[in-house]
Amino acid sequence: MIPGVDYSQRYWDDVVEGDELPEVRDEITYRRVIMNPATTWDYFPGHHDPEYARSQGQPTIYINTMHFLGFIDRLATDWGGPASFIARRKMSMRNSIYAGDTMVGRGRVTRKYTDESAGETRHLVELDLSVENQHGEVCAPAVVHLRLPRRPGA
Amino acid sequence: MTATDTGYDIAFGPVEEAVAMVGATTPVRFGTIDVNEAMIRHFAAMTRDANASYWDDEFADHQWGGLVSPPAMLMIWLMPIEWQPGGGTPLPLFMARIPLPGDTFVNASTDTEFFAPIRVGDHLNVVEELVSVSDEKRTALGVGHFVTTRGTYRRQDGTVVAVNTNVLFRFTSEPAGEAR
Repeated sequence: MIPGVDYSQRYWDDVVEGDELPEVRDEITYRRVIMNPATTWDYFPGHHDPEYARSQGQPTIYINTMHFLGFIDRLATDWGGPASFIARRKMSMRNSIYAGDTMVGRGRVTRKYTDESAGETRHLVELDLSVENQHGEVCAPAVVHLRLPRRPGA
Repeated sequence: MTATDTGYDIAFGPVEEAVAMVGATTPVRFGTIDVNEAMIRHFAAMTRDANASYWDDEFADHQWGGLVSPPAMLMIWLMPIEWQPGGGTPLPLFMARIPLPGDTFVNASTDTEFFAPIRVGDHLNVVEELVSVSDEKRTALGVGHFVTTRGTYRRQDGTVVAVNTNVLFRFTSEPAGEAR
């Protein structure tokens, strides 16, 4: 086991519809936005050039889609554990997260179900998630279908 | 503002040209790099994601058969590389190559289904399809069109690992103060 790495696992059997996910907060510094081009190879200037961002009508540089998606994945799997699998994720973009903002992730279990369509029984939960800024504005609502393992012996 | 301002070589044209392309698919495009540990760790560092599947080889081998890519990295494995020896311009993103009047774009929504884990050593390819082009719409950012594309991502053995439907808003930018 590597210190600090997340190994804690949640099992499908223990989930109850309506369960709330723990809130995740992340301060998005200028440096973190610049990590977007560095880690995703997305050199769209809105993610590294404040002057370009202003010409687009935005106050400063803002995080890219893949950063939003990565944060949503983290929100889901921080809760679900490292053996959980994102089967489907739908995200809409409403507002940007700018350099200097705090990103806040919240979520709730809306459905617990099984799916037989792939020729095996898969155990899933549907999560209603939202990424907000420090003003409580919803920037990116998302729905994640997360596959969870059964409790051993269940 | 010119086409090169976005850093992407975007195509311009009247909306009729884009609409005529609906249903068109791209040839298979291969990633320029394999799924690799260095980029996975760097991405997980950006999102502050401590998931053992990205950081612990032993755990990941046992659970997934290898270190896995965060799902959000799907599109990254197909990103065109900035420069290649011998020249040749890397193909810009398909969604930017749809001819439309707008000089810039933002992503509106992304819906992705994942069918199998994407592991270190995998080499992905994608086929993209233009699904639809909306009528002209006005949003807080400006006037433009919503462009829906669908990418089918396969790994080297032909297994479909993911299908991604993306909606992009391609619009004409307005100076700060008028929008937002």
